[in-house]
Amino acid sequence: MAERSFKEEVLKLHAGDGDVFSGEGILAITKGLLQSGVAYVGGYQGSPISHLMDVLNDAQDILGDLGVHFEANGSEATAAAMLSASVNYPLRGAVTWKSTVGTNVASDALSNLASSGVTGGSLVIVGEDYGEGSSIMQERTYAFAMKAQMWLVDPRPNLPSIVDMIEKSFQLSEASNTPLFYMMRIRGCHVTGEFIAKDNVAPKFSSRNPVNPQREPEKIILPPNVYHQEQEKIADRWPAAVNFIKNNKLNEWFDGKHEQLGIITCGGIYNTIIRALERQGLADCYGNTDIPIYVLNVAYPLVPDEVIDFCKSKQHVLLLEEGQPAYIEPEINTMLRQLDIQTRIYGKNLLPRAGEYTGHVVLQGLTRFLSAADHPISLPLSIDAIGALGAPLTGNDFEQLLENVPPRPSGLCTGCPERPLFSALKQVQDELGPFHISSDIGCHSFATLAPFNLGNTIMGYGLSLASSSSVRSALPHKSISIMGDGGFWHNGLATGVASAVFNKHDGVLIIINNGYSAATGGQDIPSMMNANLIATTMDVEKLEREQSQSIENACRGTGVEWLKTISTYDIESMKRTLRDALTTQQAGLKVIIAEGECMLNKQRRVKPLMKKAINDGKRTVKARFYIDHQTCTGDHACIRISGCPSLTIKENPDPLREDPVSYVDNSCVGCGVCGSNAHAAVLCPSFSRVDVIHNPSAFDKLMWNVRQTVIGWLS
Amino acid sequence: MSTMQKSINIVAAALGGQGGAVFTNWLILVAESNGWRAQTTSLAGVAQRTGATIYYIELIPRNEQIATEPVLSLFPSPGDIDIAICSEIAEAGRMLQRGFISRDKTALITSSNRVYSITEKIDLADGTIEPEVLLDLSKEYAKELVAFDMQSVADQHKSVISSVMLGALAGSGTLPFSKQSFLDAIGSSGKGIEASKAAFNAGFEQAQSGNVQIFEPETPPSASLAALEDSRFADPIARYPTSARETIVHGVNKLCGYQDVDYAQDYLDRLQLISELDDGTNNGELTELTARYLALWMSFEDVPRVAQLKLRESRLDSIREEVGADQTSIMYVTEFFKPRPEEMCAIMPAALGKRILASKLGYKVLTTFSGGKQLRTNTIGVFLALKFLAGMRKFRRGSLGFQHEHKMIDSWLDAIKTAAGRDVRLAIELAKCGRLVKGYGDTRHRTSEQTQKIVDHANCTKTNDPDEIAKLLAAALADDSNTAFGKAMPTSAATAA
Repeated sequence: MAERSFKEEVLKLHAGDGDVFSGEGILAITKGLLQSGVAYVGGYQGSPISHLMDVLNDAQDILGDLGVHFEANGSEATAAAMLSASVNYPLRGAVTWKSTVGTNVASDALSNLASSGVTGGSLVIVGEDYGEGSSIMQERTYAFAMKAQMWLVDPRPNLPSIVDMIEKSFQLSEASNTPLFYMMRIRGCHVTGEFIAKDNVAPKFSSRNPVNPQREPEKIILPPNVYHQEQEKIADRWPAAVNFIKNNKLNEWFDGKHEQLGIITCGGIYNTIIRALERQGLADCYGNTDIPIYVLNVAYPLVPDEVIDFCKSKQHVLLLEEGQPAYIEPEINTMLRQLDIQTRIYGKNLLPRAGEYTGHVVLQGLTRFLSAADHPISLPLSIDAIGALGAPLTGNDFEQLLENVPPRPSGLCTGCPERPLFSALKQVQDELGPFHISSDIGCHSFATLAPFNLGNTIMGYGLSLASSSSVRSALPHKSISIMGDGGFWHNGLATGVASAVFNKHDGVLIIINNGYSAATGGQDIPSMMNANLIATTMDVEKLEREQSQSIENACRGTGVEWLKTISTYDIESMKRTLRDALTTQQAGLKVIIAEGECMLNKQRRVKPLMKKAINDGKRTVKARFYIDHQTCTGDHACIRISGCPSLTIKENPDPLREDPVSYVDNSCVGCGVCGSNAHAAVLCPSFSRVDVIHNPSAFDKLMWNVRQTVIGWLS
Repeated sequence: MSTMQKSINIVAAALGGQGGAVFTNWLILVAESNGWRAQTTSLAGVAQRTGATIYYIELIPRNEQIATEPVLSLFPSPGDIDIAICSEIAEAGRMLQRGFISRDKTALITSSNRVYSITEKIDLADGTIEPEVLLDLSKEYAKELVAFDMQSVADQHKSVISSVMLGALAGSGTLPFSKQSFLDAIGSSGKGIEASKAAFNAGFEQAQSGNVQIFEPETPPSASLAALEDSRFADPIARYPTSARETIVHGVNKLCGYQDVDYAQDYLDRLQLISELDDGTNNGELTELTARYLALWMSFEDVPRVAQLKLRESRLDSIREEVGADQTSIMYVTEFFKPRPEEMCAIMPAALGKRILASKLGYKVLTTFSGGKQLRTNTIGVFLALKFLAGMRKFRRGSLGFQHEHKMIDSWLDAIKTAAGRDVRLAIELAKCGRLVKGYGDTRHRTSEQTQKIVDHANCTKTNDPDEIAKLLAAALADDSNTAFGKAMPTSAATAA
């Protein structure tokens, strides 16, 4: 099960009419879906909507009671294709994923879905992973909405708006026969607040009340249907959407006393502009504003009548549209020009073309706008003063500060099974390298950072092997690709392994099998791995899930012949296997399945068992590592091939030595990698494993006493 | 505009796994119970593992008179933060860097402890930052500062740092909420409530006392000669300048334990030759540095030394303390050794060791005995074996390893002497190169070789430029693959070694 449990929180989803519901944005979305009579939900995890998948997963009882179908889809493409249920039938459906990466994967199905059109409301809830806290390349979903003609809802980031817009989005989708994107920004996903709940509504059709199968041949995306569908998008669906948005007031208009000025903002940025106005004395914290604001809760399509109405009586209008390129700004300018309206639109000329619209950026933009509009209002903060707020330290103080604030790149967790793999790979690189490595998406991407610094490119989820396919012909060594089990099932099996075997790829593929989609929060995936024995002797029980689809069988099925499964914690065998794979004369793809259970998940499983065993009086060995500070000379080679958070440094107790010694802190889980590395890399004799025996047996006690006594005599 | 009501804005910086989410949830409960609203948001992303995580909280009193909902920001902004609370001092630095600490507005509440970042940890020598600088800057740039070691308070109460952070926040008096409402929030749910409350109270007291804990200045050297274990060295050491005495006492103590009194005397004799050339530049730095690195080098870690250290009586106690095991619990300690034939030959008589190393067969035979060993030190057999190996130090002077190390030591000392004749500053830089020599196996080999190359370079080129030596030392410490050093070292000298 996933890293964070929502078992408690999902009980709130039972809230009925008039109850006050308080919680996180993601829970509010789920409640909104249930209140709207959603028939099926699904998606693929990834921040910032990982928790939405976790909530849905943990809410399966409630979903089941209502007859809502749930699937943890194999990829975003699977999720998008699932929406086809709404093409012929009035089934409301919602799927979710991380965007734009997930939208990229899903685009094939989305384009076809949008061309066919939908009968039941269809929502794609995208976690817009843009700006601070993002983990992907910076792009926006807006272009996808425009090219496939799907609407883009961008609600104000407060819980009542979020919930209300879910229901309205289903209606909008149905009124215009068009699927839509419902966009949540990172901070909006995690924002807390409250709203007044409504009763949950069971879907009209479900397994309890099946639909009547029916064919609508004109909705199939074959010519000549597709030409009609394109015409229909423009002639029928678009106007229907615009009318629905207008008639139901999905966009909001807030009046203000400075009528010659105006601000048009996407819903998601509304709170940020209110705060900027508040700091300039032009609004209060309840959203009462001196400058009129037009909020685009639907960012695509625009409603020309509303835009014109808002702008025509104003001289200067500021547009807040985050990221690049600007799509709304040219469109609004075109609308105004065509009607010869002289209102000036300010946007990317005053605000940054690229990057997130943070509080600071928007405050600067607003201030520049007021100055450009030549307003008579006196402001508490000048543009220079705002600049100074952003950089309180200058000169020498700032330099000193920079020198003493170390970066904190993401890294692998304490005891992570991937660490020994990369330690092994780094050691083999010292013998046979340097290596060019095609990396992938997942926790293992962190191997591209310090201290491993392994990996050259990341092309997408499950695409590492595919991205080796041409560079392999230009490398002095057999190509090396690293893929996670998550990536393997998401994409890598078909685009990577099957294609490589077909093309007689001679390289090495390392598949890391840790049993979970670990980087996104430990969700289950099709395959599992054997519960491996590590230094902590406790762990022998099986994982809880019953069935497992084997990576090994899947690879063999595509025709892989050279395949070895190695425990990552066995550094010596891993090194040997890597060497073999890289030097063998045997042709064809070499697959190494590197096995080791995700330590975060393992600890979550094992810790309570261990605690219980100790409390029950069972003999239990708890292991951890220790570094002898007297033999450690402070070179930190052990850290450079490991980077474990629990392997750290402390002041050298030897008054003659100045360099800090290595030190294992109490978060050590005793995975044994330190010891294996000390051997494999011939490091130093400073590492020891300390086994503390809880509830020792009589034999333990006897042996202990005999040994202590004899050693006492001898020394 | 109808109201002047403003929110209280709080940014909380924590590291993955430090309980930042728990802290935030407590704060929501406190606000709610006081009739306030709390809006929180966070950036988890992929930083949940080891990265810095930022939580942002806005608090505002509920107002029944106003029908509309307050509109609160989701972004912390420079100039708009009332309270910044950090679980670690470098994170306080990051808050400063991001402009979240404003002189006229922001109360900064930070733990003063360190959690080292990977870039600090992987340094070949000492890559740690200076927390004192950050504390000074915090003091200067925050409106108020509360700073103390919250981690150690948490440890004392067997709790987590988030409880202490909440206590410090409550105790700082920056929020209009009673202490009891914080305690109620902690008590409402979760595990380890009593420990959390105790840690909260301790944090509260610390913050209330209003004292900013300032880093202790380096403790002045203990009355140096008093620490001397063998009094017969008191007179000779007393003749050295005070700046070096402390170091020499430690050196003599170490070498007496490492080998014997004669060996310590040998150390003083060698040091004497350098000290005579010291003109007092930089408060006698040449003597002090040479005393330091000579003692360390002369106590090089061969097999008998490692065995000796593993047997020391205090060791088990310090392990118990570190792993948190009490005196009575049964505990096994397993050592990871991997002696190579080189290390085995190093403790043999020089002639024999050399012959075996040179012979393919001999090397092969030894290889069968080498390889990874996991030995439990508290079994009788292993204890005896270690005791035997530690006893080998009696024969150390005749061993191959001893001859090898001392040859390098002599060459290093000669270079220092020669340099001191030209420029004491140059000699100081050469003495500093003694810091390089450390580690085991390949590391030891690399660092000794680099030192030797620098020494040879100084001898060959007869350089008069201390900076040149300093640059070579810095290059040697830049990476462990000889890359920077290879580039920095002029090729002729690099190959000469």
